Amino acid sequence: MNRALTLLSFGAILAFASTQLLASGNAENGKKKAGTCFACHGTDGNAVDPQYPRLAGQYDEYIQQALHEYKDGRRNNAIMKGMDATLSDQDIEDIAAYFSGLPTKLDTLQGHVSGDK
Amino acid sequence: MTRLQLLSLAAAMAFLATAGAHAAGDKAAGKKLVYTCAGCHGVPGYSNAYPQYPVPKIAGQNEQYIINALHGYQSGDRTHPTMGAQAQSLSDTDIQNVAAYLSSLAQ
Repeated sequence: MNRALTLLSFGAILAFASTQLLASGNAENGKKKAGTCFACHGTDGNAVDPQYPRLAGQYDEYIQQALHEYKDGRRNNAIMKGMDATLSDQDIEDIAAYFSGLPTKLDTLQGHVSGDK
Repeated sequence: MTRLQLLSLAAAMAFLATAGAHAAGDKAAGKKLVYTCAGCHGVPGYSNAYPQYPVPKIAGQNEQYIINALHGYQSGDRTHPTMGAQAQSLSDTDIQNVAAYLSSLAQ
């Protein structure tokens, strides 16, 4: 019984830890904050101009990571640095939540490599 | 004289057409090259380590963006040790081929 309780509490902690890890922003707020993004990345998150990436359906935390990298210069891009400069961490979470939740044309490479069925 | 002009015009157009075809990447060649990418980009939800975030979905991504990103990893405008090393191993033609293939996968 004791062991079961210990195991259960471990499970609870793990579940809690993973929700923290996956904590994401508010997509509704993100939509309002993403107005400037739409000009290049499309209102549906699928940029028409091929020099800009599709964001619709990209992983939430990857978008957050990219935005932080543009903001702090780990990715050196003049346009995105300017866009990012005024975004708070909360803004970044919200915007990433919005774009990651849109219908996507993206996929992983699973099934798209020579030899794959 | 007009015939000569026509001929040179036709030659110029043929040249432009082949130049255009050349600039577009070769999807079949790209498909072979992305075998390496699939180790990380082919595993749904696969996580980058330190810091931890999911490796992006790149199938269906826009062509010129992929070209720019790979050149960015080559030049150091983008800092990521693994992607830096991978991009170094690719020629400009390889990059065009990879981008042509990946962008063709848009769902």
